[in-house]
Amino acid sequence: MEAMVSRSPGLWQRALRSRSFVIGAVLTSIIVLAAALSLVWTPYNYAAQDIPHRLMGLTAEHWFGTDQYGRDVFSQILVGARTSIVVALIAVGIGILIGTPLGLWAAAKRGTLLDEVILRANDLVFAFPALLIAVLITAVFGPGAINAIIAIGIFNIPVFARLTRAAALSLWTADFILAARVAGKNASRISVEHILPNILNTLVVQSTIQFSLGILAEAALAYVGLGAQPPIPSWGKMLADSQTLVGLAPQLALIPGLAIVLTVLGLNLLGDGLRDIFDPRLGGSRR
Amino acid sequence: MSLLSVSGLNVTIGATPILRDVSLSVEPGRVLGVIGESGAGKSMTALAIMGLLPAGARADGAAILEGADLLGKSEREMCTIRGRDIGMVFQEPATALDPLQTIGQQVAETILVHTGASRRDALVEADRALARAGLSQEHFPRDRFPHDLSGGQRQRVVIASAIALRPKLLIADEPTTALDVTTQARVIALFRSLVDEEGMGLIFITHDLALVTGLADDIAVMRSGEIVDGGATREVFRSLAHPYTRQLFEASSHVPVRDPALRGGAPVLEVTDVVRDYLRPPRRVFGPPGAFRAVDGVSFSIGRGENVGLVGESGSGKSTLARAILGLDRVQAGSIVIDGTALDDSDRATRRKVQAVFQDPYGSFDPRQRVDTLVTEPFHLLGNEAPRGAERRQRAEAALETVGLNVADVDKYIHEFSGGQRQRIAIARALIIEPKLIVLDEAVSALDVSVRAQILDLLAELSDRLSISYLFISHDLGVVRAITDRVLVMKAGKIVETGRTDKVFASPQHPYTRELIAAAPSLSRALAG
Amino acid sequence: MGGYFAGRLVSLIVSLAVASIVIFLVLEVLPGDPAQFILGLNARPDTLAALRHELGIDAPAIVRYFSWIAGMLHGDFGISYTYRVPVGELIAQRIGVSAPLAIYALALTLIIAVPAGVLSAARRNSATDLAVMGATQFGVAVPNFWFAIILVWIFAVTLHWFSAGGFPGWDRGFWEGIRNLTLPAVALALPQASILARVMRSSLLDTLDEDYIRTARAHGLSRGQALWRHALRNALIPVLTIVGLQFAFLLAGGIIIENVFTLPGLGRLVFQAITQRDLITVKSVVMLLVFAVIVVNFLVELSYVWVDPRLRRR
Repeated sequence: MEAMVSRSPGLWQRALRSRSFVIGAVLTSIIVLAAALSLVWTPYNYAAQDIPHRLMGLTAEHWFGTDQYGRDVFSQILVGARTSIVVALIAVGIGILIGTPLGLWAAAKRGTLLDEVILRANDLVFAFPALLIAVLITAVFGPGAINAIIAIGIFNIPVFARLTRAAALSLWTADFILAARVAGKNASRISVEHILPNILNTLVVQSTIQFSLGILAEAALAYVGLGAQPPIPSWGKMLADSQTLVGLAPQLALIPGLAIVLTVLGLNLLGDGLRDIFDPRLGGSRR
Repeated sequence: MSLLSVSGLNVTIGATPILRDVSLSVEPGRVLGVIGESGAGKSMTALAIMGLLPAGARADGAAILEGADLLGKSEREMCTIRGRDIGMVFQEPATALDPLQTIGQQVAETILVHTGASRRDALVEADRALARAGLSQEHFPRDRFPHDLSGGQRQRVVIASAIALRPKLLIADEPTTALDVTTQARVIALFRSLVDEEGMGLIFITHDLALVTGLADDIAVMRSGEIVDGGATREVFRSLAHPYTRQLFEASSHVPVRDPALRGGAPVLEVTDVVRDYLRPPRRVFGPPGAFRAVDGVSFSIGRGENVGLVGESGSGKSTLARAILGLDRVQAGSIVIDGTALDDSDRATRRKVQAVFQDPYGSFDPRQRVDTLVTEPFHLLGNEAPRGAERRQRAEAALETVGLNVADVDKYIHEFSGGQRQRIAIARALIIEPKLIVLDEAVSALDVSVRAQILDLLAELSDRLSISYLFISHDLGVVRAITDRVLVMKAGKIVETGRTDKVFASPQHPYTRELIAAAPSLSRALAG
Repeated sequence: MGGYFAGRLVSLIVSLAVASIVIFLVLEVLPGDPAQFILGLNARPDTLAALRHELGIDAPAIVRYFSWIAGMLHGDFGISYTYRVPVGELIAQRIGVSAPLAIYALALTLIIAVPAGVLSAARRNSATDLAVMGATQFGVAVPNFWFAIILVWIFAVTLHWFSAGGFPGWDRGFWEGIRNLTLPAVALALPQASILARVMRSSLLDTLDEDYIRTARAHGLSRGQALWRHALRNALIPVLTIVGLQFAFLLAGGIIIENVFTLPGLGRLVFQAITQRDLITVKSVVMLLVFAVIVVNFLVELSYVWVDPRLRRR
């Protein structure tokens, strides 16, 4: 059984020594700051058109250039960051808030009908190609950020349920759980007092991964026109618009794409780094 | 000339020295026992000889096998030596074999690697090796998979693969530690016959003093990476020259001092005709679920202040019985009466009277909590009467003092304590609500022998002073003999024999009890013969 | 073993049944009145009634559900509202693009990922390992449609090695067809291969730590031999699960990719059907895709028995 050293003074030292964590944290912070910044300031209004100056490359006035309507790309990237992060974050929240209790419950009642039902329901959701159903839901109920959040959120539920259940199951056999039962505690109390705090690390790591997957999913939905609707910019939509112009103005395809790649990369590295910190036995280059 | 002669072996991992100046020798046809507690470096010595040290480890010194220094050989050369000239058997039979290959294939592997034999010939040789290891072809055909076999049988497969090419030297690292006592005895007999009949040299590594004394001709005592004592086994243990050897010896044969006067009174526990079944998945898709009877009509009682031992091998049902007594599992029939009241798992008042100490000191505590929270967990059974605030803390501190720890320890985290200290904390936790009965499920089995002796002393003293009864569950007959007044012998869900501990050990009545006692390694018997 | 098979089969049927119910609910019951949905808010009542009758939706939901299922089992997927041809025909045409694309992408994924993962684990912490880990770290972060756009830019627009899109059909020849599917398959395969390579590496590293590897070394096997003969097969078991899941992802990703390359596959069919509110087509295509995923997962579960003898004993 792993000893989760949570309050050890070496935690910050280990964090700073993990290359993945540092790079990941830096990248993620940049994107989050960019998103936060967009709430109060962008160089230009992201929707302001300026046809005479359309399709300009990287210049001093427009750091990332302009798109086919003359809109400032840099401003669009900033606001797009906000869109992606909000969607992915809330979707992860949905997954955790619903999936984790389900997983804890299933583990506490392992072997019973309830456990079977939750497991089967999980498998069923996994059977649906996630993106397809997200497309479907947003198409049937209308495109928009809210429906994108719900669609992606729905797919996070079985991920967290399955992960929580597996992690909880491995703890249920430990002697300290037996000791808690001898002390008269019932299953739900044990789930909250003993199981949950000890699987928190795993959940945090998975959350960063699901966050990064959420960013990719949001971009894909936006690309096909089912994410946040114009005029609100989103990176996926920018890519869709850039497609026909790729010979003329490749930077319009490269920049939003790189933004996505860097965000997802940052989050993945952050997750790897956190994993290293929480369980140093696995070793730096293990995963 | 010695078969294997190790001299001045030093092993470091990174900057940390693991083995210091280790020297030993093995003669053909003789067994060298390497004894020591955990962390002594016994396994590392074996791995160094085999050239299987972990990455980052460096070894220097000499390990001369029939004139050639193993430590100077390249990896490729060692590959030709391993399996052909030296065989090795490890501790965990459950994971030692590839689950995807048949036992025949795995034994034949050794043969195929070293000889040019065809696959068919190799498999025939493998059959011979398996038979030599006690697995006859009619009962254990070569196309069986490891999961079809029990722990003892798997260990025989591993032994077969190690001896398939009749190596001159066999190294066995705690090969029977994970096995039942009776299985262990048979595997030890196998080792002995291999040494006697094939003239092999055997290095037998173990922490069990009684076991090694019965088997080894020569012995090497290790501590903290060094060999502190050695020589012919009987000599070493009769003279007890080195203080550490003496300490080990005394701890192994330690019997805590007990005051027999505090006995008698109303029974603390009365178990009557208890039956506990487990459901098994149905054999056919829509058939009825099968039932497995883990506890089959067990009855016994424990008096106030009395220590009762429960012995049995794996699968005997002793853990299941313990869980039923602790109120963790419902029984299908029979009754459990604690201090006059029938046990009902929702009745906190009755459950307060029974507490437990478990086997694994490293898994018994929530790693995220401090000692004061951990030790006071049983207060949950007190409901509204549970002490709070300052009184709670005082009770925690008092409990720690009772088990010989410091008051200041209440604020520490559990990872700051050693195995023995953790078991003390576990005992403190069991005592804190002043139960009448404590169930100790293999509570000292995972401890080193010197620590074990201290814990047994503590348990004996507490039992006498506080008039607490124990139900002491163990597979280790030596421990049970040392600390209990009465003993129950359990097999396949039934109690086959019961009586006063000294009487049962002196003259066992039931054939199974006799078999158990005969199989259990006994230091006195080994030294006497 | 018969029990295992029967159990999996029951699971398969139940999954398909529940999936079909969910799809039916989402696409027929939830949008309210499908006729209204198709014709829009301003449709006249008699047009609505006529359409309802034509679609057969004036019957209660349960009846409609079962007639839909019965129809599908006979190969009758209904008549597309937009194209006025049997949906079955539309699907048959499109599948000739989507299925080969998914298989091509899966093949590329396996060919790239398995050796990369194995090599990486075998040479842990070496330059090879770091290179593979670095490359895959990027690979999993790349959206496949963006990668597709970049591929088009480099290989089609700039280098003219491949066409930028479209699929002329298999009658031009097998290799010509494959050539047209190459860029899309590569775009799909890259992120999946990155994920799979990491999983392969991780699984193999876990396996190399197992006790039976040590036993094999004690028999005289070298590290490489022990890896090849023991670790690899054991490590493949969890990888199989992931491959099964990836198939679902490839099908879904195919939908987006077909958009980038304007391939006439099931993905584009679904998209067009959604925008044209042709719910009949949408329902059938989704059901078909889900069916494919569930069946593939079923096959993966069956394959466990072949690989892992521990599952054979009941």
